[in-house]
Amino acid sequence: MNSATKKGDTGRRGPSRRGSATTGGATDFGTWFLVLPALIPILVLSVGPLLYGIALAFTDSQSGRTAPTQWIGTLNFSDLLHDTLFWDSFRIGLLWAVGVTIPQFLLAMGLALLLNQNLRFRWLARALAIVPWAMPEVVVGIMWRLVYNPDAGILNETLRTLGFGEGRDWLTGLATALPAVILVGIWAGMPQTTVALLAGLQNTPHELHEAAALDGAGAWRRFRAVTWPALKPIALSITALNLIWNFNSFALVYVLTSGGPGGRTRLPMLFAYEQAFRYGQFGYAAAMGCVMVAVISVLLAVFLAGRLKGGADE
Amino acid sequence: MGTSRPARAGQYLALLAYLVFLAFPFLWLVSTAFKAPRELGDLHPTWIPKDPGLDNFRQAFDEQPLLQAAGNSLIAACSAALIAVAVATPMAFVMARHRSRLTTAATGWVVVSQAFPFVLVIIPLFLILKNLHLINSLPGLIMVYVVWSLPFALWMLVGYVRAVPPELEEAAAVDGASRLRTLVSVTAPLLAPGLVATALFAFITAWNEFFFALVLLKSPEKQTLPVILTHFIGAEGVADLGPLAAAAFLATLPSLVIFAIIQKRITGGMLAGAVKS
Amino acid sequence: MRVRRLPAALAATALLLTGCSAAERGPDEHGVITLRFQSLAWQKESVDINKRLVAEWNEAHPKVRIEYVQGSWDNVHDQLLTSFEGGEAPDIIHDASDDLADFSYGGDLADLTDLLPARLRADIPQRSWSTATFGNRIYGVPFLQEPRVLIANARLLKASGVRIPTPGAPWSWEEFRQVAKKLTEDMGANRYGVAWPLKEPVSATLNLGLSAGGELFRKDDDGKFRIRFTEDDAVVPGTVHNQVNTDGSASSATLGMGGSDTLPGFFGGKYAMVPLGFSYRQQINEQAPKGFEWTVLPAPAGKDGPAQGVSPQTLSVAEDSPYKKEAVEFIDFFLQPRNIVRLAKGDWMLPTGTEALKDPSLRTAKDGWATGTALAAHLRPAPAQAVRGYPEWKDKVATPAYQEYYSGAIGEAELRQRLEEDGNLVLARYQR
Repeated sequence: MNSATKKGDTGRRGPSRRGSATTGGATDFGTWFLVLPALIPILVLSVGPLLYGIALAFTDSQSGRTAPTQWIGTLNFSDLLHDTLFWDSFRIGLLWAVGVTIPQFLLAMGLALLLNQNLRFRWLARALAIVPWAMPEVVVGIMWRLVYNPDAGILNETLRTLGFGEGRDWLTGLATALPAVILVGIWAGMPQTTVALLAGLQNTPHELHEAAALDGAGAWRRFRAVTWPALKPIALSITALNLIWNFNSFALVYVLTSGGPGGRTRLPMLFAYEQAFRYGQFGYAAAMGCVMVAVISVLLAVFLAGRLKGGADE
Repeated sequence: MGTSRPARAGQYLALLAYLVFLAFPFLWLVSTAFKAPRELGDLHPTWIPKDPGLDNFRQAFDEQPLLQAAGNSLIAACSAALIAVAVATPMAFVMARHRSRLTTAATGWVVVSQAFPFVLVIIPLFLILKNLHLINSLPGLIMVYVVWSLPFALWMLVGYVRAVPPELEEAAAVDGASRLRTLVSVTAPLLAPGLVATALFAFITAWNEFFFALVLLKSPEKQTLPVILTHFIGAEGVADLGPLAAAAFLATLPSLVIFAIIQKRITGGMLAGAVKS
Repeated sequence: MRVRRLPAALAATALLLTGCSAAERGPDEHGVITLRFQSLAWQKESVDINKRLVAEWNEAHPKVRIEYVQGSWDNVHDQLLTSFEGGEAPDIIHDASDDLADFSYGGDLADLTDLLPARLRADIPQRSWSTATFGNRIYGVPFLQEPRVLIANARLLKASGVRIPTPGAPWSWEEFRQVAKKLTEDMGANRYGVAWPLKEPVSATLNLGLSAGGELFRKDDDGKFRIRFTEDDAVVPGTVHNQVNTDGSASSATLGMGGSDTLPGFFGGKYAMVPLGFSYRQQINEQAPKGFEWTVLPAPAGKDGPAQGVSPQTLSVAEDSPYKKEAVEFIDFFLQPRNIVRLAKGDWMLPTGTEALKDPSLRTAKDGWATGTALAAHLRPAPAQAVRGYPEWKDKVATPAYQEYYSGAIGEAELRQRLEEDGNLVLARYQR
């Protein structure tokens, strides 16, 4: 397999502009030397299981050992087409993913810019800013359940102290449940985004910043003209990943509401999880997974088209 | 330098607002960890424990092998972070500098691997590791963590590599340096903030990871912290809140401390110097 | 190129997957065999007793070593499912009867019918055995259970002068509704006679519903289960619905809470009564403010008396275990009456075994033990736990329907329609 792939690679590298321009055959070995340490574990522990998982979507695989698994073609997908509950949860999932990703990015951007300033106690602020990330997910869920508790939660307690009435039952009200979990979602994912952006900010050439400041450019102009262009690849990467992750997150919501009340917070991943691990319908759950992958791919294709174009310009 | 006084004050205020929002559940966790059981049932909870004590910590250590679990978590998370960065950097370099089908395939893999329900991947993964005799072993878990953090590592690193001016590498190539040399001596130092951010990501992901550890490790002496933490949660989600908070507080500390120490690296301003020279 | 790499990867994966075989196990060089016992013991006392019993066994049986593995209620189902699929399950498995159905039908658990010793068979009553019996085979030994009881603020109850119910003379559902109304009036604004923690509305509703003759799931002549929501099934949900939406005697805010979330309000005098599992007494005992007086009352009764459904904790053996006989011997030792009394006290629950239930320490009035013990004879298997498709019906149909009904978003007619129509569609898929 190794020699075959290497040969194939040489043949395919020809058109690649920079690869052929700089060096000859020796680098091909070098390239593979650089790539293989990551590629082998990926193939064995990720691509393999993934292909297996996708193949499940075309079977009637169930938990237990009594029913033999059979290929059933696209039956799972046609069942899925009529599963209104799944599409309901899909809608909720999109709402949740967008509702979390966009505020998350904007807030994280602001925080990263602040943390990049030369402020006092910056090290402490930076450490505290990653608190949500450093807490295990189960604990995050339990802590927020305490915060939202209608009787003894600090949120309602604070509202009462400030004279804003009796407070609400945040996680169980049909109208408030989804916004309440979205807030936790934003909170939980902010540090990753902030740290990624903070590291990206270092690519902004300092001189340009100073030059722009001397020219009398305002903060916003400087951000648009100097910071953003350098930050863009990172910002796009992290937002794309956040979108995928958020669409697929479920542990947090599972601890907070288990999908309730009345299915108002049942994210698609939660749905697939229940299908596979509660009811043991592996095949059907895998079909859901494939549909989720397809939809996310389409979403990202739009997004990535811009990214790749931007990359080609460099 | 050129920032005016009111603007500075505004920045501090904004930062404070951020920190209040981000840190208050943690402060609540700390407060809970020091409260006596009776106070946990209080209708009007207070931030400062009325009768602070270490009983919850004592009970947590008493009931569960926290130190051993912390040791396992530390080994798993550090190894995963180092290995992930070591294998991802060269590949990200290739992906960023050479648009080939490999790049497309890798991008596709990142999307599929992150978007496909991981619960369905667990069972085949379990079977593969079993055949490699890596069930119930930390090395097996570490390998899974490495692969699991690679999508993020690759995507972010590709972004960071793209941001490094290619002229620097081209200059090195003209000087006759090999691809690997270029990577090690020219690109890597410029990437330092991104590498640290990536390593940190891999570390925290592994440190907090729960499901793989639950499924892959059997022996009690090999368990990691997140799995041990759930032992404080009973049927119907009833939590033994005091000890859970105490243990969770301790489990959160390492990540915070490590980040406090290395945060300078993330924004060390190395690039500015390099470009100048 | 691409075409070539994909099959290669597939082939490599397939090789790995097909090479899979059951783990070889056998005695070590000294002829000692080791069995893994995964316990879900959670309270400190109960973990201690579990570990001590394992140590006692290992002391007495040098050739059959038991290794104690700590599991967690929080994730036991996921963990077991994966272990079974991967062929790495523990030998002796602690779980609850309502989690056993799929594992039993799926062939993951060993049929214990012929392995169980006569003593154990005789000691545990048939109605308990039937909780872990699927298709006439026994897949688990039920050993601890808890009825749902009303935990009440003794002072508020006394002050309002209502009749205090006993296991012999419990309130009827109608009386319960009047009492809650009276308490609410006496307590003042923003306080409620009762707080229903219904985060898991289905099991609570169905289990309590048995008292009013609610069965919901009925086996038809063709041997298939169908859902029929009758007047009897409407008694308990109707009471809750009316308390929340008509009488204002139950708080709507607690409907989505778990049991422990209601305790601060209960301790603070905001709620006079909370229907909770019997074992919550441990938490109340630990957290109640000094001087707080609480009491344990039987749940209201309907035309079938104080009957209610339970899903006991169970011990099972994995089908893959090569040492089923030894595993059952350990279970027999573990569940000796004197041991089971210790386990029951450690978990603040009731034993299923009749011998253990006679123990005087489980019959004291202190902490409400006597009330619970008196209810033991009325506990029946939770309805429908053996019906295939029940978990999916519960999550997708029943939970949202009950949640919306209790919060007042829908009425009884729509509840009935959703439970029956949507529900029977789900069940039909499993009973083809």
